[in-house]
Amino acid sequence: MRRALLVAERELRAERAQPDGLFAALGLTLVLVFLESLLFGPSVAREPAVAAGLTWIALAFAAMLATTRSFDRELEDDAIDAILALPGGRDALYAGKVLALTGLLGIVAFAGVLLTVVLLDLDVTLPLHLALVTALGTVAVPPLVTLYVALSLRLRARALVVPVLVLPVLLPQLAAATAGTAAAISGDATGALGWSGLLVATALVSGVTGLTIGPVAIE
Amino acid sequence: MTTTTFPRALSLRVRPILGLASAAAGAVALYLALVWAPPDAVQGDVQRVMYVHVPAAWLAYLAFLVVFLASIAWLWSRSAVADAVAVASAEIGVMFTGLAIVLGSIWAKPTWGVWWTWEPRLITTAIMFAMYVGYLLLRSLEADPERRATRAAVVGIVAVVNVPIVHLSVTWMNALHQLPTVLRPGPPAIDARMLTTLIVCVIAGTVLYAYLMAERVRLELGRGTAA
Repeated sequence: MRRALLVAERELRAERAQPDGLFAALGLTLVLVFLESLLFGPSVAREPAVAAGLTWIALAFAAMLATTRSFDRELEDDAIDAILALPGGRDALYAGKVLALTGLLGIVAFAGVLLTVVLLDLDVTLPLHLALVTALGTVAVPPLVTLYVALSLRLRARALVVPVLVLPVLLPQLAAATAGTAAAISGDATGALGWSGLLVATALVSGVTGLTIGPVAIE
Repeated sequence: MTTTTFPRALSLRVRPILGLASAAAGAVALYLALVWAPPDAVQGDVQRVMYVHVPAAWLAYLAFLVVFLASIAWLWSRSAVADAVAVASAEIGVMFTGLAIVLGSIWAKPTWGVWWTWEPRLITTAIMFAMYVGYLLLRSLEADPERRATRAAVVGIVAVVNVPIVHLSVTWMNALHQLPTVLRPGPPAIDARMLTTLIVCVIAGTVLYAYLMAERVRLELGRGTAA
């Protein structure tokens, strides 16, 4: 656990020194929100389910982008080989990356949801519920994204294979986060809490799965 | 270093028997499905698509469950047979998933009025198809056999979660698709002759799966030996 925290801390320090992953993720989210309002027009774009769905799809892509950048950084200076050579290095690397991505995605998610609310002029009826769903979605997405990005490490055509593998497997997380966000925007407290429960379940399942087989995936 | 302990002599004896059994079971299943089983009271003869559509879906479930078990076996033992079983089953599973989607679409047009619609079973099945196409894509991008098997095993373990999602999706959300008829709590909600025909078709499909597996695993292990 201590090693995982060290990896996460190192990751966040690197991101603070050179925040290209964060900026790329934020930029992508912003562009998709703009595109959404442009392509669908204001009336459709403001529908809670549409706005929520596109925000979470943007966040899924942002998570892939940030994680890929994070592993690229490890490869650039061969730091990954040193970590993998340590006893328990794979576990620490996987868990540390998940923790760091959770922190990073938290920033992007709250900024992305805020941007969506402001830019689309949404009337959020239940802001605390919206914050809860956003926080839980932020925790539920990273384990599988990190697992699949780690799995595709040093693989040719990685940019091609990561979204093909990640997006289908994120279906429960994205569906629950979208429905929960839409429920919070439209004032359905029971719905928002119900979907939050599913997000907790998916976070637990994907977290346990990732911690069990994630380290094996890192080559 | 991977190990190969596949009983080749056994395989040589079993494969022709499986082939013959598959052809015989297929012929019986066809007779039952096209002649013996009564037409549906509402849908008429169109409903007979079920005798291929349901076995295809069942074989997809079975194939992906085998991928899951073989993936665990690979990570546990690093046996080349386990990896060969995983890739063989994934390819066959993708084929049967595609078949189930196409046949379902053909069945949907006269009964629902559309080839494709927003429907939980359809969407989750299509996603399962995409997941295992991704699995095969991942395998095709890695040249080193051990790394390929390890990466694929991780995906094979995670992706199996979609099998229960596909099966139960119609009970979780409002669905146009029929609810589970046989694999459900309580007795099957289907005419006895239709059920018998369906069971024979599923058995015939399973024998065909076993035959295809035996052939594909042999090819995969032969490829490894040649390399």
